[in-house]
Amino acid sequence: MKCRKYLSMIKAGIMEDMQFRGAIIMTFFGNLLYLLLAFFLWKAIFESSDSPVINGMTFSDTIIYLVFAAALFNFMEMWTVWNMGRDIQDGKIVVDLLMPCGYRRLRLFRGLGEVIVNFFTTLLPTAIIVYFISGKAIHLGLNILWFLISVFFSFFINYYIEFIVGTIIMYTESIWGIDIMKEVVVGVLSGAMIPLAFFPEGFKQIALALPFHAIIDSPMTLLLHPEYGLTDVVNILAMQVLWFVVMGILSDVFFKFSLRRITVNGG
Amino acid sequence: METSDMSMKTASKRRGLRYYFNIYFRIIAQDIKSKLSYRSDFIISLIGMILTDAVEILSFWLVFQNFPSVKGWNFYEMLFLYGFTLVASTPAQCMFDNNWNLRLVVYSGDFIKYCFRPVNLFFYFMSEIFDIKGVGKLFVGLSCIVYSWNKLALPVNFKSLVLLIFGFVFASLIVIAILNLASSACFFIMNSFFVLSLSNTLRGYARYPITIFSGALKFVFTFIAPIAFMAYYPSMAVLRPDNVPVLTWFTPVFGIVFFYISYKVWMKGALSYNGTGN
Amino acid sequence: MEPIIQVNNVTKEFKVLNRSEGLKGSIKDLFSHDYKIVRAVDNVSMDIGQGEIVGYLGPNGAGKSTTIKMMTGVLKPTSGSIICNGVVPYDKRTLNAQNIGVVFGQRSQLWWALPAIESFNILKDIYLVEDKDYKDMLELYSTLVDMDSIMHKPVRQMSLGQRTLCDILASFLHNPPVVFLDEPTIGLDVAMKAKIRELVKMLNKEKNTTVILTTHDMGDVDALCERIVIIDKGKKIYDNDIEHLTGLFGAYRTLSVSLSKNKEILTKEELEQMETSVSNLLREQWPDVDMPVSIEDNEIQILVNEAFTGVVKVINAVQDKYKVYDMHITEISTESVIRKIYDGSKIVK
Repeated sequence: MKCRKYLSMIKAGIMEDMQFRGAIIMTFFGNLLYLLLAFFLWKAIFESSDSPVINGMTFSDTIIYLVFAAALFNFMEMWTVWNMGRDIQDGKIVVDLLMPCGYRRLRLFRGLGEVIVNFFTTLLPTAIIVYFISGKAIHLGLNILWFLISVFFSFFINYYIEFIVGTIIMYTESIWGIDIMKEVVVGVLSGAMIPLAFFPEGFKQIALALPFHAIIDSPMTLLLHPEYGLTDVVNILAMQVLWFVVMGILSDVFFKFSLRRITVNGG
Repeated sequence: METSDMSMKTASKRRGLRYYFNIYFRIIAQDIKSKLSYRSDFIISLIGMILTDAVEILSFWLVFQNFPSVKGWNFYEMLFLYGFTLVASTPAQCMFDNNWNLRLVVYSGDFIKYCFRPVNLFFYFMSEIFDIKGVGKLFVGLSCIVYSWNKLALPVNFKSLVLLIFGFVFASLIVIAILNLASSACFFIMNSFFVLSLSNTLRGYARYPITIFSGALKFVFTFIAPIAFMAYYPSMAVLRPDNVPVLTWFTPVFGIVFFYISYKVWMKGALSYNGTGN
Repeated sequence: MEPIIQVNNVTKEFKVLNRSEGLKGSIKDLFSHDYKIVRAVDNVSMDIGQGEIVGYLGPNGAGKSTTIKMMTGVLKPTSGSIICNGVVPYDKRTLNAQNIGVVFGQRSQLWWALPAIESFNILKDIYLVEDKDYKDMLELYSTLVDMDSIMHKPVRQMSLGQRTLCDILASFLHNPPVVFLDEPTIGLDVAMKAKIRELVKMLNKEKNTTVILTTHDMGDVDALCERIVIIDKGKKIYDNDIEHLTGLFGAYRTLSVSLSKNKEILTKEELEQMETSVSNLLREQWPDVDMPVSIEDNEIQILVNEAFTGVVKVINAVQDKYKVYDMHITEISTESVIRKIYDGSKIVK
């Protein structure tokens, strides 16, 4: 019974998304365009270097890393910050809080349908195209499994971060301003803009100490390094699990705390 | 009958440039006044925008930590191009920002309310919002240009300043045109947000020298989605005065033509949408 | 007198995509080219004179707003023509806009963040209203409504009623010959509705403004309109004055009877029981005639078509069986007539 409720929420999300036929095709072509642009930009960058391997990354590694980063963000996009902002500003959140299943879970299941569509329309085709364009540079082995497990945690860490940022909107009116800050901070510190390998040592250490790298850098490292032994893999995944737990608790506590504060203040 | 005669007389009054300037400044003055009463939103948004630009500069810098130059372009030249795109984006950000709300009012059906005024529809819609945050873009952009100008030891003379200003004007028309075209997609397809974000991605590549792209893309970025005119071609007149590409001198033509096309598409979409809306 | 608006044989067609149902259907739609033509307005003609208040009525989706959009120049007819104030609105939209005022439902056309008076000042410039005319108009307004309480409040902080009031004032501000009001009283309370109707009536009288009113509220129609035009499924089915409309259905009378000495204490069950038994009685007596029975104000209401049965006969039949404590006969209300027209949807001339 409970399960069916969530299933129908997901299904509604999928159908809603499919209505927008132009958008699905557009997203796919958008990713292709990004792939194309990143390809030329980084080709130019690598051609300007004497060595084909820079900071342990080859040209095809870099392209795979960046294009996957963009596709992963597309795939995970549930507009959590925007939707929460809207719910909070027009007061609709009060209705949702009366639901028996918790606001964080509610938002998650409402967005999951879109995520599923995104998987088939953007992530999967992009992955296949990148695989062939890069001359099959992606090793097909256990690393794919590690990658998928890692993406599972990435998804939740990203969702929890978005949920925290969405909660901040209870304190300010500025959805746009908050969202753009999140976008740029997550973008650069996850490695999605420039792979973390290219960061100078100090910057890299800072990025690795923060949760954002677990969204992009962790799964991409697992995908691009099939030679990693079990200890390396476990190390990376354990770090993700840690952030998964920490961000999960943090987002929950922060939301409940903020809610209480706001209701007390009668905001 | 008296009333009808009177309004016919008013209707035949000419609505010239002065009329439009007057209306525009009246509306934006009120808009800015009301916006400043929501100061925290303004400040957070401004910080967010400047942070975004700063991080972009940081990512340049990160790349150039690993590579001294990219296809003969050094860090300061790239910074100049980036600053140029920021300045060229300022008018679009300040005056045409309502484009970002277009799809929302179109899908909610509220768009119709813009159609009943005796003024140009495109003008009237855009006049509603003036985004002062855009001035932050101008500030960051000019700082980049001044800093790299200095580092590159480019000559400061009348000619290069004039070329720079003309470059800004026509490059900004290109930026506006791309924004108009992307936002007008909502008249033709559902959930057109992806078109806007796609155009944003595309615009992000205007900061790189066109020479890094292959022949086909070079063609596309010059003639079809002319982002090369957003920074590269107009900047060349200042950055490489001895080696200016011919197309640089066509920047005004491209700016005006693309702006005009985007305006026409927007208007056509607006009027054809009202039929299918609801 | 030359009509101010002429609508001649106007037809408007739209192309719409046939959407399929279900998850499979929505995937299929991604590639579908299955369009159909929908005729929203079908060969409609009408002339409207200066100073008239015309109620433009019809059920949802009848083609009302499409017609209004064509008259305001937003849409172009597929065939036929419209002339408004000597201007073809869809060819010269901006010129036409100077001659009209529009209030479109709950969508405020004022600047959301600004106090109403600032919006008015901007509109003065947009419509090129002379200083003196503007001052006179504001003076007139202040005699009609309490301006001070609303003019200095940002529109976003106003109640729906205040917003509608401001929108209506704004639409008359440049003294246009024609004003279109689309559902002006929707969502308002009774007092506000009365206020809005009064305001429109005064402005119409004062400035001899032609008003075209679309509404679902028959109270608006009764209070304001001398003439009504009804459209259904894109076709004009009625165009005449209100008296003629009720006269058309004059054969109908509503008979209300009270079957209890103290009708206020009747329970819902008792009333329903009465309703059924009266209904059965009438069916026994006149098996071929349809006589709808309903409960209103704790009384039993019978809608009688005098073409088939006299009201007196019905009274007698009821009195034979029940003790009648009170009764009265009323003409059918405009609302019920309109509903009957929608239901029947046949062309009445």
